[in-house]
Formats: sequence, C-alpha cells, structure tokens
Amino acid sequence: MNEQALIQDAQNGSLDAFNTLILHYQDSVFNAALRILGDEDQAADAAQDAFISAFKSIASFRGGSFKAWLMRTVTNACYDELRRKKRRPTTPLEPDTDDGEEMDSPKWLADPSLTPDQQMEADEVEHAIQHCLDSLPLEFKTVVVMADIQGMDYTEVASAVRVPLGTVKSRLARARLRLRECLQGFAELLPANYRLEEGIKA
Amino acid sequence: MNRRDLELLSAYLDGELKPADALRLEARLKTDPELASTLDDLRAARTLLRKLPTRKAPRNFTLTRKMVGQNPPLPRTYPAFRLATVVATLLFFFSFGVNFVSTQMASPVQFGMGGGGGEEVQSYAVEESAPQAAAPAEEPPLSLAPAQGTEDSARIMETPSAKNAGDETAAAQDQPPAAMEPLPEPQSRAPLVPSAWQIALAALAAVSALLMALMRQLAARRWK
Repeated sequence: MNEQALIQDAQNGSLDAFNTLILHYQDSVFNAALRILGDEDQAADAAQDAFISAFKSIASFRGGSFKAWLMRTVTNACYDELRRKKRRPTTPLEPDTDDGEEMDSPKWLADPSLTPDQQMEADEVEHAIQHCLDSLPLEFKTVVVMADIQGMDYTEVASAVRVPLGTVKSRLARARLRLRECLQGFAELLPANYRLEEGIKA
Repeated sequence: MNRRDLELLSAYLDGELKPADALRLEARLKTDPELASTLDDLRAARTLLRKLPTRKAPRNFTLTRKMVGQNPPLPRTYPAFRLATVVATLLFFFSFGVNFVSTQMASPVQFGMGGGGGEEVQSYAVEESAPQAAAPAEEPPLSLAPAQGTEDSARIMETPSAKNAGDETAAAQDQPPAAMEPLPEPQSRAPLVPSAWQIALAALAAVSALLMALMRQLAARRWK
C-alpha cells in the first residue's frame, strides 16, 4: 500500500483511495476507541464518525504521521461520544447473571479460536485492564492508549492528543504507575503468564 | 519517588531518553533499589497493556458517497447553463414587470383622452377661456395622441388657435363638438418588451434547466 499516494488521491476527493486507508487502519482506530470508551457499540460509532470527519478534513493533513493524525480525529470523536453519553446515560448491554450481577464475560465477545479455559483467562485479563483503564482520568487514559496499546512514539502521541511532549511524558508515567497500582488488586485473578512479576523478569 | 524520577523512568523504558540521561539513570538504578522497583512496576504495567488482545473491527467502516455528502462531478459547462437559467428566468419576470409599469404610466393619459375623463378636461378647457389656462389642458392630448387620425389632430389644434384669436364664442362653438364627439377608443400601448422576447426568454430558461437536469442525471449514472 502506497500510503502517500492514497492520501494524495484522497485529498483530491477520491473516496476509493480513502476507503483503502480505512481498511488498513480500521482495526487500530476501533481498538483505540474501544479502550478509551470501554464499550464496543460506542467505539464503533466513534470510529465511523472519526473516519467521516477525517475524510472531510483530509485537506488539512500536511504530512507527518498519518496514523497520529487519524488518532487525533478518533480522540475527538471519543470525547464527543463521552459528552453525548453524559447527556444521555444508557443502560449497558452486558447481561446480568441469575443473581442480578453484571456478567463479566458475555458469550458474544468470545474468541472461537481459544479453548474455554484460555478464553476465560483472556477475558479476565482484558476485563481487569479495561477496568483499570476506565479508572484513569480521560487525559491519562488517552495518552496511555496511544503509547502502550497503539504503540505510538512520544512525538506521535503529542500530535494525536495535541499536548506538548513534556505533558505526554508526565501523563504516561503517572498513568502507568496508577495502572500498576490498580492491577495489583487483580493479581490473584490473573493467570501465571499474565502476572505482573513477568515485567520484572522481562 | 518524585515526579521527575518517575518521568525519567517511564521515558527510559520507552527509549525516549537522551543517551547521556540514560547512562546517568542506569548508574542510579544500580544503587537505588526503590528506583529499580518502580521501573519494574512501570514495565509490568506496560507489558500487560501490550498484551491486551487487539479486537477486530466489528464491521467495515468504509464510507459511501452519501455518508460524506459527496456529489457526482458535473461537466465544466454546467455553471454556464446554471447562469443562463438564472439570468433568463430573472429577465423573463423582469420583462413582465417592465411591461406592467409602462402600462400603468400610460393609462392616466389615455383615460383623459377618451371616455369620461376626456369630457372633464375638455369642459375645463371651455370654462377657462384664458389661453394660458387652456394650454396645459390641451397639450397632453397633442403630444400623447399621435396615433389618432389627422382630422382629430387638426380639430384639437384648432381650439388653441381660436382662443389665441380671443374669440370666446368661436371657441365655445368649436368645443362642444369635440366634447360631444367621443374620441376614439385609446389604442393599447405596445409593450416595451415584445412577447416574442418573453417567449424566447422562457424557452431559454426551460431548455437550460432541462439540460442541467440531464447533465446531473448523466453524471450520477456515470459515477455509479
């Protein structure tokens, strides 16, 4: 994929070129939205809005990291989605168990390639991490999602979140420390290969 | 653990420290167990985050032209046709306005020349024997009735001449036939914009609009 040529074509109004870019980036964009919002449906809506908005404003892209530029649009879409959610709170779609407790791992989220035990482990870990991510202030969460989940470097994160480099460093460090503290509460739930001690050995 | 050290450790983990700063930090890490422990904590958190499974997008987010409000590209001549339609339509309605106004301006004079209005003007001319008073009342018919027959014009022309002669009786004798004999029906004044032009303008507007619709349809079909 010649990204530069596709971007140029998209800037000249080619929707087909932009759709090729979408197919390349849609998983990243959706995952970023999912980790920021913590809800699959809202993340899908935010991702779609982000792509529409990105196409409409692609003329403003002046080079650099396209992923970072796209992530800035996703971040804005997520903030809009959160504002909407705040105005119109909704009931989560996660089903309740027989005793009225919210089911942690709804069946429809299961990955069919894993055994039931592996699926349970994966769900546990994912749920624990998402829970801890959700406990972070939004600006910390956005930075940590961009850097540690999307694997962007500090300059890209600064561009995506529109904050100075120093702020990225500071937020990321504090976010990691808070996450570590939060995840320690789930240490017993995590299977051996997910234990936090792994980081020490690494 | 102060904030500065925390930021240094986090940046070190990501390889974002300058080589000199990294070396200094590594030296401190060897002697400061608390610092080393915090580095491990940060690394552990980062490792876990990186292990988060990447979810596949639940659907394709590709865009349709409708979603982005994109219209099919129109031929370059399209704006010319649009301009022609607008101008022709405006001129068409403007021509009606011009014709209407010109008719309205002409109608009071025509009213004075024939029918009841004519009598009033003429009786005024009879009563007022002074030539200076009669003149303005008689002048408009002179200038605004060129289409009338030469006989009428001649008769009207006689009236001031009789007054000028100072013969009131002659003027009075001359007037009654003029007052009694109604002037011919005023001919409708020809419109300023001929109807042929109006038809042409309407046709131009309609054809141009039709061509625009055709262009849009063709462009949309080609786009699909």
